[in-house]
Amino acid sequence: MNKHRCYIQGSAAISAQHTFDGDFFSAPMVTTSTNNLVAAEPDYKAFIPPNSLRRMSRMLKMGLTAALKAVQNSGQPAPQVIVTGTGKGSLSDTEKFIRDIEQYQERALNPTPFIQSTYNSVNGLIALQQQSTGYNNTFVHRGFSFENALLDSMLQLHEGVGNTLTGAFEEMTDEHFYIKSRIGFWKDTPTGNAAMFDHNTSGSISGEGATFFMLGTERTPNAEACVTGMKMLYKPSAEALNKALPVFLEQHGLKPTDIDLVITGRNGDINTDHYYRVLLSAHCPATPEVPFKQLCGEHDTAGAFAVWLGAQILKHQQLPDMLQSYATNVPDPIRRILIYNHFIGEQHTFFLLEQA
Amino acid sequence: MEELKLKLKQQIIEALNLQDTKPEDIDDNAPLFGEGLGLDSIDSLELMVLLERQYNIKVEDPREGRKILASVQSMAEFIQSKQPA
Repeated sequence: MNKHRCYIQGSAAISAQHTFDGDFFSAPMVTTSTNNLVAAEPDYKAFIPPNSLRRMSRMLKMGLTAALKAVQNSGQPAPQVIVTGTGKGSLSDTEKFIRDIEQYQERALNPTPFIQSTYNSVNGLIALQQQSTGYNNTFVHRGFSFENALLDSMLQLHEGVGNTLTGAFEEMTDEHFYIKSRIGFWKDTPTGNAAMFDHNTSGSISGEGATFFMLGTERTPNAEACVTGMKMLYKPSAEALNKALPVFLEQHGLKPTDIDLVITGRNGDINTDHYYRVLLSAHCPATPEVPFKQLCGEHDTAGAFAVWLGAQILKHQQLPDMLQSYATNVPDPIRRILIYNHFIGEQHTFFLLEQA
Repeated sequence: MEELKLKLKQQIIEALNLQDTKPEDIDDNAPLFGEGLGLDSIDSLELMVLLERQYNIKVEDPREGRKILASVQSMAEFIQSKQPA
């Protein structure tokens, strides 16, 4: 088996858009007039007992619910392996715990935010709920967090594991938004996601969400797409990046013209969006391109949302209405999608998805 | 004592995030764990923290906890017994 090949047997995404329930393909884009895209939370009661729900922070509820829905959608039994990635983990619990330390002078600390502030708390909850006692790992590597989780999952599958639950989760808090605004992460003036590409300014729009995939080596009836390749490049030079894309495609027996659609992580930041423009104009000038961060916002694990979006496009063989205006000449059928995303110009990733 | 019990119920609801529960839903003598509110071991830790934060009372012997946290009534009696005369 190719160690970079696995089927997405089921998936689920919680984002600012109607990705969890509702018709994502015909729904209009959810917009905000601020620079922070907040995830639309589903009704958790269908997935989590009320007595457990009351103790969970927003991030834990989103992560656990997306994971359970992905397993449900796959029609597979409980996952043998759980691997996730997160750039920030359960931020609200971390902040609460730190505030309590200060307020109560390190005495009388509440155990719940302490327990749940750890990065692996989502994985722990999933494992408990699914009674999955196998390999369980959480990667925390900023813009490569989800990518490392996916790579680990692929290696686990290559080693003979039957299936893995792989995902990413991220939450934004007021405090964290403020801290990042101080270092120029977000646009200076309220811009909103609908207009994020219209302003020739630095910074982007923040986002959050949880995305999970059940992965396996077998093509199942529910299979949405096949992940056939992934390449990570850390702070590549312009020359290295330019060389890397054709080499990556060649390693998978492809030419740039074999790509039917490119999904890019353009985020409206003039300091880093040139990477997409330069690379695609050099190698895929005629390939239709759609950006995805106007849907989910910028965050460390936005790449997971892009993979989910690519898989849905391949499964349904159409672009969602909200992306139609970006690309007019999409081939029919859509067989192969290249995703190119980078996080703040440092962590660059190519994903290759094919029809299942 | 009645005032203390009402305040305690409100504090329990807030500390444990019992979203659909009102103070009048909690019987003074109903067991807090198992039956009644159906609390668990993490909740007992949270209630110990509540006693320390709100009433400055530290339960030194954890074995005492079971008796103290049995019901709102027992918690209120314990708090009252620790308050200066």
